Amino acid sequence: MEASQIWLVRTLATLGKVTLVSPFMQTRWGWPTCESIHFLGLSLLFGTIAMFDLRLLGMAKRVPIAALHRLIPWGILGFSTNVLTGTMFLLTEPDQYIYNPAFHFKMLFVASAGFNILAFYLLVFRQVVPIGAGGEAPRSAKLVASVSLIAWIAVIVCGRYLTFYRPGLCEGQHSFLSTCIP
Amino acid sequence: MHSLFVWLETSSFSVWVRESTSVFAFPTILALHTIGMGAVAGISAAINLRILGVAPQVPLLELKRFFPIIWIGFWLSAASGVVLLIGYPTKALTNPVFYTKLGFIALGLIALRAIRHRVFRDPSLDSGPVPPRGRLLAAASLVCWVGAIATGRFLAYTYVLLMSA
Repeated sequence: MEASQIWLVRTLATLGKVTLVSPFMQTRWGWPTCESIHFLGLSLLFGTIAMFDLRLLGMAKRVPIAALHRLIPWGILGFSTNVLTGTMFLLTEPDQYIYNPAFHFKMLFVASAGFNILAFYLLVFRQVVPIGAGGEAPRSAKLVASVSLIAWIAVIVCGRYLTFYRPGLCEGQHSFLSTCIP
Repeated sequence: MHSLFVWLETSSFSVWVRESTSVFAFPTILALHTIGMGAVAGISAAINLRILGVAPQVPLLELKRFFPIIWIGFWLSAASGVVLLIGYPTKALTNPVFYTKLGFIALGLIALRAIRHRVFRDPSLDSGPVPPRGRLLAAASLVCWVGAIATGRFLAYTYVLLMSA
């Protein structure tokens, strides 16, 4: 994997320069501005998804589930914003992410949330759509909602931990998935 | 003030916040601060956007049941924020960006409280567009929380004085 990581870092760094993302991010306020937008996106994503998940778990039962589902496009907007701003971080300092174990876990949790969403739409969505005011969601829906909340909170936590697991330089060791800069 | 900052910064709790290498210290305090922020800003953003007319099919009146989560998120951020402040009192209290952030938070809370107790008091809320006063409060609330988040992030990149001790 380490060879792939080395290749990935080099490719991302080149992309960053070619797209002018890196020069922008390296200006005085470039990075903080991008980060602020990243946090706004996370708020929109987490807020809307949390509302929907909490309803599935039984909170605010008087709101019909299908109606609350209409907030989800805003959550998608928040997620898309974060994919964009996140890519900008990745293109500017790729080694700080590709070798960062907190980043590995963060992406793992994003993927988990993604699979969970897939499971929701394939298996659960049709059952909860007709649930109106006062209705209780089935146990499968509550399971999906719990996994969703845990996964996205874990994404936030791993994101905050990034700076505390920054990779140093490798001193001769080589591992399957490198967590230091070779 | 200086001696107060020194007293705080040399206290064992402050030293622990700053220097503990445990992942459950500074990193976790920050994570809790961010989760609280996500809850407050995210849920209030959804409610505010709905008040302003986005996704009008969502029944508005019952969304008031999510306000307890907003308050829980706020207290989580407030508590973790106080701990962060004890860790770096000089850095925060000598930085005008910090006071700007507090200002945005105060105004945001006032707006949210007004929305909860005035806008949501009207039982005919779902029968038509929200009256202009409610929309103004919603817009103000959005601006305040965006401001709080932005100034919060910029705090990490600006300081006048780092420490007194």
